[in-house]
This record gives sequence, structure tokens and C-alpha cells, in this order.
Amino acid sequence: MKNQKSKGKGQRVKGRHLLFFCLIVVACWLSFAFAESDWKQALPGYQFDFNRDHASHPEHKIEWWYYTGNLTAKDGHRFGYQLTFFRVGVDKQPQNPSRWAVRDLYMAHLAVTDIDSSQFKYAEKLNRAGVGWAGAETNVYRVWNEDWEAKHDDAKRTLLKAFDDGFGIEFTLEPGKAPTIHGESGVSQKGTQLGNASHYYSQTRMPTRGVIVMNGQRFDVAGDSWMDHEFGTSFLEKEQKGWDWFALQLDDGTDLMLYQFRRNDGALDSHTSGTLIDGAGKATKLSAKEFTLEPLAAWRSPQTNAEYPTKWRVKIPSRHLDLEVDATMKNQELITNGSTGVSYWEGAIVVTGTREGQEVKGRGYLEMTGYAGAAMGMVFE
Amino acid sequence: MNMRLFQQFILRHLFNERLRSVATILGIALGIAVVIAIQLTNSSSVRGFAAAVETISGKTSIEITGAGLGLDELKLRELGWLREYGFVSPIIEGDARANLANNQRETLRILGVDILKDRSIRDYKLQTEAQQNLTPTDFLTLLLDPRSIVLTEKFANKYGLTVNSQFTLTFGDKAEIFTVRGLLKNEGAARAVDGNFALMDIAAAQLAFNRLGRIDRVDVRLRDGVSLDDAEVAIKQKLPEGLNAQRPARRGRHVEKMLAAFHFNLTALSYIALIVGLFLIYNTVSISVITRREEIGTLRALGVTSKTILALFLAEAAALAIIGCALGLALGRLLSFGAVKLTATTVSSLYIAVAAAPPALSLKHFIIAFGIGLPLSLLAAALPALEAARVSPTAAMRGNDRLESRFRLRKLYWLTPLILLAAACFFAQQKSFGELPLFGYAAALSIIAAAAFFVPAGLFFVTRVGKHWLARFFNIEGQLANSNLAGAIPRIAISVAALAISLAMMVAIAVMIGSFRATVEYWIGQTLQADLYLRPATRSNVATDATISPEVEAIIRAHPSILAMDRFRNFDLPYEDALITLGAGDFAVLLEHGGLQFKTPREAEAKAAMRSAIGTNGVVVSESFTIKRNKAVGDEIKLNTPKGEVMFRIVGEYFDYSSDRGIVVMDRGTFAKYWGEQLPTSLTIYLKDGVNHEQTRDEILAALGDKYQVLIYTNAAIRNEVLRIFDSTFAITYALEVIAIFVAILGVASTLLTLILERRKEIAMLRLIGADKKQVRKMVVIEAAMMGGVSQSIGVVVGVLLSLVLIYVINVQSFGWTIQFRLPVLFLVQSSVLILLATALSGIYPAARAARMQATEQVVEE
Repeated sequence: MKNQKSKGKGQRVKGRHLLFFCLIVVACWLSFAFAESDWKQALPGYQFDFNRDHASHPEHKIEWWYYTGNLTAKDGHRFGYQLTFFRVGVDKQPQNPSRWAVRDLYMAHLAVTDIDSSQFKYAEKLNRAGVGWAGAETNVYRVWNEDWEAKHDDAKRTLLKAFDDGFGIEFTLEPGKAPTIHGESGVSQKGTQLGNASHYYSQTRMPTRGVIVMNGQRFDVAGDSWMDHEFGTSFLEKEQKGWDWFALQLDDGTDLMLYQFRRNDGALDSHTSGTLIDGAGKATKLSAKEFTLEPLAAWRSPQTNAEYPTKWRVKIPSRHLDLEVDATMKNQELITNGSTGVSYWEGAIVVTGTREGQEVKGRGYLEMTGYAGAAMGMVFE
Repeated sequence: MNMRLFQQFILRHLFNERLRSVATILGIALGIAVVIAIQLTNSSSVRGFAAAVETISGKTSIEITGAGLGLDELKLRELGWLREYGFVSPIIEGDARANLANNQRETLRILGVDILKDRSIRDYKLQTEAQQNLTPTDFLTLLLDPRSIVLTEKFANKYGLTVNSQFTLTFGDKAEIFTVRGLLKNEGAARAVDGNFALMDIAAAQLAFNRLGRIDRVDVRLRDGVSLDDAEVAIKQKLPEGLNAQRPARRGRHVEKMLAAFHFNLTALSYIALIVGLFLIYNTVSISVITRREEIGTLRALGVTSKTILALFLAEAAALAIIGCALGLALGRLLSFGAVKLTATTVSSLYIAVAAAPPALSLKHFIIAFGIGLPLSLLAAALPALEAARVSPTAAMRGNDRLESRFRLRKLYWLTPLILLAAACFFAQQKSFGELPLFGYAAALSIIAAAAFFVPAGLFFVTRVGKHWLARFFNIEGQLANSNLAGAIPRIAISVAALAISLAMMVAIAVMIGSFRATVEYWIGQTLQADLYLRPATRSNVATDATISPEVEAIIRAHPSILAMDRFRNFDLPYEDALITLGAGDFAVLLEHGGLQFKTPREAEAKAAMRSAIGTNGVVVSESFTIKRNKAVGDEIKLNTPKGEVMFRIVGEYFDYSSDRGIVVMDRGTFAKYWGEQLPTSLTIYLKDGVNHEQTRDEILAALGDKYQVLIYTNAAIRNEVLRIFDSTFAITYALEVIAIFVAILGVASTLLTLILERRKEIAMLRLIGADKKQVRKMVVIEAAMMGGVSQSIGVVVGVLLSLVLIYVINVQSFGWTIQFRLPVLFLVQSSVLILLATALSGIYPAARAARMQATEQVVEE
């Protein structure tokens, strides 16, 4: 709106009154349009620009930055970690001029799995932007929640930092492979309706170094991270109960992202899909028909009583891939009543299996939602 | 002690003399009741405040505050390190007025919080099933709309509100419609201020209170295992300039300190009634000793030891005192409701906005009642009881051991009062003890003691002089009354002293209040020069920080009749260990139109001094500031500002009677330099010549409409308002005094009754030699009135002396106010007449008893 006005002033044309009238019409239409549409939907045709798309997209209602990774200390001690920043739009243009007026809510989850000692610790944060206690910048990549932070340094390396009582992480991530854009035409379709989708890309193998603190003890670690960044406005539909999401990093350099939606009626959702990224970073979309995900064994959470399949068989016949995915430890459940209110399982996994008959191994992360409490479709509607 | 003896000798006697017993018990009971009532009342205001602070603070261990006006919210960015210590929650807190059905109005304590943070500090339980166990996000959603509020179940039920009900809330001067989004169960913070508590989102509260950009404080709850002492010290060190860390209870202590002088004076006053009650005990026991010397003699002859006799009379006093104390406790609790009402206006208009019911009686009050009432009663009874123990058996039985009833003027009787008066002079010149005028009270007590000791001598002179005059005006009855009194000086002295002392206190307080009122009236005339005074409708006292909206200011400025306007801002500022009021006004406007009444420097120099303060760190301070803080013009004072500690120089000292806690006023420009631009809390408006004030006021009110709620006083109205508050402040004082006088008159009546009973033979003889009932009645009534007259005469003289102590010592030391002495002659004349009438009336029942005495009966007995 401001631009329109200054343009109007810049152009010296006859019939000022007419121009003024036009401006008023445009201004009215703009404010009307804003009030009506509120949040921008993720629509096909989106062109990613990685000079800016790492940063925040406040015109969309929902956005998250997701880091997971498997790391090893010098002495061979194995760890997994997850650090997630969420932004959920609440009121695009709050009428209250107070800094505390809530435009967005910022949530963050941190989890560290000490695989060798079977310990799992997690913490969460929830803030409004307020005076800057949480936020996400739009011009450069920096997202933070209190003193947890993810940002780019000058060399486009990602710096992660998050500590809670007695545990935490501080890493530097190299970009690794070029970003992989999921879905088609710039959107990863999640629901039947147009717009029930997200703009979704990953950096699937980011060489990572840094420090993990567990029970107050410091470990110098190295390994690979996986980063997901998604933004959109409406993701799921009510019938979608939850999803199972796999991020696998195989020893042969292949990365695999697979997710399936589970519907309330138990049927498989047609929007299930995946992406296969070869060692050079070339991505191929996998449709629902091209792979199968079969639960093999389950673990029942003593806290939420939810039953999570922690062991899976993953088959991609066209690629001759036959993998078994198993949790590094059973209890990697996050109960986040203090922020999202959602309980989910997100944990480090090990991968074994064959590719074209050859043995292949790998690591990765598995996320399972919608097993406890409300359907995810109700949460991320 | 022999129980049977006690029963037969003491209890039976008390029962036979039940009128006097009842009077004594009532006297003690009233004395104790007044003391307890004042204790309860005093603790109600401080406790009400402290309890509200405690309940609302929840699990807060430390709060971060700014320099009087909260803190700039951007400073929170520098406070991220606080999270190492625990949970951190920014707070907006203030009062708003709810306009409810049937024009009912209630003050609500509003807490504006970031619910995402605050649930670590306070528990909020919502009422309905669906609203329980809300996630933080759900709870936040309830509060998101800027016109959302969560009330307590208790408040909502009282006014028939439910979820989704709408009602109008006034914040400062802004009235807005709010929607109830949830109801809090009666737990945690919701219990505060008797359920008049409401929860809002911090953003909504900022908007409503006009406090965008600032927060009132930051509550910090330390992590488990972190030491409070260590954390407090560490946090204080790390805090940037202008911020302070304190425990929430400190606010309660500030208030307690602020009210200390007011409470101390009320407490001192309350003990007067008790002292008068103790005179009654002394009186009663000595009368029962006097009237029963022969019986005592018989008992002694029968082998009862003198120790037992002593014990018997002490037990009598104890019995009376125990019943009196017990009754007093119950009565005190009842009286406290009235006392709270009487003091509420003072406390809320001068100190804090807390309307609290008096607390229930606690062990402390039982200890006060019995711990003070019983020993003092025994002490009062000790003298006559010892006297009784000394009675020699044979002499008493023979009847030639009459207690001396003739009064001889010994040196003791005039020397003691003189020595006591000298002591009073000495005490009056001592400095206060802390902020409490203990020496002032010592001086007052010395004067009272002097009066008490002087009473026998006073009665002696009066009966000497009265002989002639009474005979002349009241014939034989007058003469008889005079000689009766002259013959009974040792016995009536105590009652007269008790009455004289309570009357002296009455006079002293009347003189003090009269002088004070005259001083204030003069001050109002000098100081209140503006034509209109405007304040937000919800601003009931100096302590609330209700502000005036810029919209209101604009509307007023636009009115054509406005000549000039002073935007005044004030708020509480911690100074040393107490709270003072910091004010900021437009000195230029004040110089041109206003009329601060300066103490130093005077006249033109004062104006020059004020002018010099514009643009510099000069301040003018109220007299109570200089007196209480021991400062003078020219001194520097160190104030806490958001920019750290800053030195200010006192350029002038002005008279102010609106607050006793000390006021520091600076020019708006100086103020803005340190505190930033702030909304005013009141406006002083000067109108153009020839403009109708009332009409302008009405026009402004009409222009403001319903949206803005302000009170505008015309000059005449504000003067009345100030005097109204003044008068209400002293309502409690008069109430306490009336009780003390009532107790004293009770004493006179009971003494007279005893004298009559003792003199029944004499009266019978009078009747035999021809005196009729009417004459006997007249004689007794004259005696009563004479006792009243003597009491009042001593009372007036001593009262004026006491008033000097009150005005020049106690008042200055407790409140820091200069009062010009003025004698309220009319009041003194009126009260004297009234006291004569009242004492004469108190003689009517004894007179009737005397007149009913059958001449024959008594003489036949002989």
C-alpha cells in the first residue's frame, strides 16, 4: 500500500483527482483482500530461490525448520538429535499496536538421544515474539526461540545452538548436497484440496560437527544432519489422522525421504509420497504406488499409551531396495503439552537391508504422529 | 486463697453491688474493645495489601522493578540471562472499574500476563470441564482479543456474569466493553482481593491501561535448588542501571511503613479508653475496700491473714478484668467493622486502595487483651488492695480506724504535677525515635500524669472557693453538695481524674483538629488556584496510576475557554526504605497561574527558585519530605531513575497537607529527560476570564461522552472535596474520644452511687431534719455537675497543653506537617456546657436512689 502511494506521488500526471480516486479504490481493495484471504496458500508454480527461501515466510500461516541427525563422538559413542523451530501464524495483522500482540506463535523442540546409554532427553519452548524473545527473520536465515537458535553464518554454514538443563547441542552444519525440492511444481501436495499443501525442501546430508552435552558431560561429535524446511497455510485435512515420515541416509550416498498419511478410516492416503536423492544430489519423486511401508513391531508408550511401530520394512521395488528400519531405542516419544500440545515419536533409527542384492546400511530419523491424542489433521488444519 | 471466702466475701459483694460491677466491667470491656478494634483495623489495611501482594505473586521469588514507573519493555531484551535462574514472566498490573448491572461498580485488580510464561509462576484453574487442562495455546486463544477478560467464579456469580457475558470496564478514563472468556476457580491468584481479580493478556492490558511499550515488573520464579539469597544478590549485581530486584513481600513492607505513623497514632489514641477503664478498676476496688473496712477487720480478727486479704481484693480486680477483657474482645471485633469503615476513606485517599474487611481475632489479640488488660487491672487494684491488707483487725472493728477522708494539702500534691510538667517540657524537645514520636507521647503521658496528680489539690481549691458561691446560687443544697465533695476528696479524686484526662484528650484533639483544619483551609485557598481539576474516574487516590488518555487531553485543549493547562504526573517511587510520591508538572504554567505556598524560600525568591528548576535537576519538595527525610533547601537528594541514580537539588520547600509521605516535584522537562514522556495522572485547567466554570465543565464532559470517564471538579468543588477527606480522616478520632468520655462518665456515676450508699445515714438524717426528696435529689445532681465542672476545667487547661504537644511534636514527627495553632473557643464553650449537663445527668440515678432512702429505716438501724 505504501508503495502504491509513493508511486502515485512520483508520477506527475494530469487528472490528479482520478489518480487519487484510483488509489483509494486500490487501498480499499487491498485491505479488503487482506482481511479476507489472511494467509497465503502454497500453490503450484512456486519458484524456490535459495538466496531467500531459507528465511521466514510470514505470509504463510505455518512454517517449520527441522533438523535431525546421527552423530558419533571420537570414542565411538553414538548420538541422535532433533532440533525443530515452528512458527504458526495467529493473526496476520493484530489490531492491538502492543509489541506483545500475537501475530505468530513460535515453538521449538529439542531432543537428544544417547544411543549407547539408551537415554532420551527433550525440551520445548513456546513464545510469542513480544520484545524479540522468539522470531524468524525474513531477509537472512535466522530463527530463534529464547536462546535456542538456527542461523546461517557468512559462509552459508548453518549454526545450531540449543541447551536445556544438563543437555543440549551446538553444531556447525556444512550445506552438503544442494537443496532437494519435494513434490511437483514447487508444492508438496498434502490434501485433496488445492492449497492443502506446503512448499517443502530438504538438505538431506549436511556434514555436522560440534558439541553434544548430555547429563552435563560434553562430547565432541561429528556426523550428518538432515534439514527440512516447510511452509504453507493449510497442510492436512480432517480425515488425515497422522503421518509416518522417514529420512534415511544410506552408506552408498543415497538419501531417501518417504512419508505416508494414515486416514481416520485406516485407509492409506493417496498423497503419500517420497523422494530419492542419489549421491550426486539428483532427486527423483516417488509416488505412493512406488513404495511400501510395513510395520513390523510396535512399542507402547507407558505415558500416553500410544502404540508406535518402531520397526518397519521399507520396499521400493523399482529401485530394488529392501530395507529394515529399527529404532535405536524404543522410547523417543516427545510429549509437548507445554507448546504444541501434541505427542509424537521422533527418533534416531538404524537401517539395514539390500539394494540390488547388495547389503546396504544407513542411519536416519523416523517421525510418527497421530498415534496419541487428537488427529494431526485437527492440529495442522 | 480460700474459694469459699472469695465466693462469700467478694463474689456476693460484687453481685450485691451489681450496678457498679457492671459499670466497671463495661469500662474495662470498652477500653479493651477500642484497643482491639484499632489493632484489627490497622492490620486490615496493611494485611489486605500484603495478602493481595502475596496471593497475586504466586510462586514469584523475586520481582524486577524499574524506577517507579515500571520498565521500558525493550529492556527485557537485555535480561535474557534471567532465565538461567528460573522462569520469567513480564507483568502489567492495575485496577479497573467494572460497571455492572443495576449501576453497581466494583474495582477489579487486573493482572496482564503472557499466559505462555505465567503458568510457571501462577496457577490458573478455569471453571468448566471443557476449559480445564487447556494447553498454553488454548489458554492464550481465550485472551487474544484485546477486549477479552477472564474473571473469577466468585465475582461472576456475584454479578450474574457467565462466559461470553459482556460488561463495561473503565481503565483510567477509558470505558470499553469487554467479553468474559473464562472463569477462574477460587484457587491461586483468583483468591486475591476477595475475588475481585481478573486476568488479561499482557498486550490487551498494555493497550487498556495506556501502557504500550512498558511493563510494570518482571516476576521471576527461581528454579528448584537455587538459593533465594544468593540469587537476589547475583541478580541485583547483573541488572542494568535503573532496574532493581526485590522480593514481592517488600511491597507489603513499604506500605506498612507508609501507614506506620497513621497506625501508631490511632493505637496511642485507642489506649486512652483503656487507661480510663483502668481508673475505673482502681476506683471500684478502692471503694470496696473503703466501704468494707469493718468486715475486713472482722475477717482479720477471725484469723484471716493479711496476705489472704490482699489476694481477695486482687482476685476481685482479676474477676472484673477477666470478664471485661473477654467482653472487650468480642466487642472489639464488632467495633472493628465500624472502625474499618471510618478509616477506609483516609487509608484509600491518602495511602493505598485497599478496602479490606477486618481480620478475624487471632491468638495475638487474646494475648493483647489479657496480657495488657489483666496485669494493668491488677496493678490498678494493687494500691487499694495493699491498703486493705494493712487494715488492723481491732481498730477496724472498733470503727476508730476510719480511712482518712479529710484532705490536707500537702506539698506532694502541687510539687509532683510541677515536676511532671517539667519532664513533659524536656520530652517535647527530643527528636523522634525513628519515625515514631515516642518522646512526644512521653511528654503527653507526663502531662496526663501531672493532671491526675493535680486533681485532689484542684478539688480542694474548688471546694474552698465553691463554699460561698454555691450557697449563693443553689442555696442550702449547693452548700451541702460542696461540703460533701470537700469531705470526700480522696475518694472522688480518681473518678474526677479519669474524667478530666479523657476530657483533656478530647480538648487536645479538638484543638489540634481545629487548628489543622484552619491551616488546611488557608492552604487550600493559597494553593488551589486553578479553575478546573480533572482526573480519571477510576483514580481514587494518589497511589493508583490511572492516567489520562491523549484523546481526552486533545478534547480539552480544543475547548475555546481554556487559557492554560498543567499536565501533572505522579507515582510512587521507592526512596531510601520507604515510598515517596514523585510528581512532574509544568513549572512555567504553575509560575504564571498557580500558587504553591512555599515555606522556604518565601515570596519572590520562591518564584525565582522554581524558575531556576526549569531545565535543571532542581526539585521542589513538600514539607513532610524535608522533615521526615531530614533535608533542607539547598540539599541534594539521590533518586532512582530509569537512567540510574541521579542527584537532584532541592530548590524550594512548600506546604502540602495532601499526603504525609513526602512529595518531590520536578518540571516536566526534567522529568521527561529521565523517565520519558508519560501520560498525566491529572490535569489542572485555567480558564479565560469571564468564562462560566460550571458551564465549561459540563461542555467538556459532554464532549467526552460515554467513552471517557473523568471527574472534573470546579475550584469550589475541589475545596469541598479536600475538606471532606480531611473531616473523614478525623471521624475515627472523635469516635474513639466519645467512647473514652463515655467510660469516664460511667466512672463518675459509679463513684457517686458509692458515695450515696456510704452516706445513707447522713442522707437519712437530712430527711429527718426536714429535707424533702427534691432537695436531696438536687444536692446529688449538683455534686455530679461539680465533679464534671472540675474535670472539664482541668480538661480544658491540660487539653490545650496536650494540643501543643500534638501539634508541635507528635504531628510534626509523624506526618511532617506544620500546623498553625488556633483555639476553637466556640467548641470549648459548647463542650463544657455539654459535659456539665452530661455529668449532671449521670447524677440523676444516684440522686433518685438517695431520694428513695427511707429516713426511718436508716435511723432505726442505728
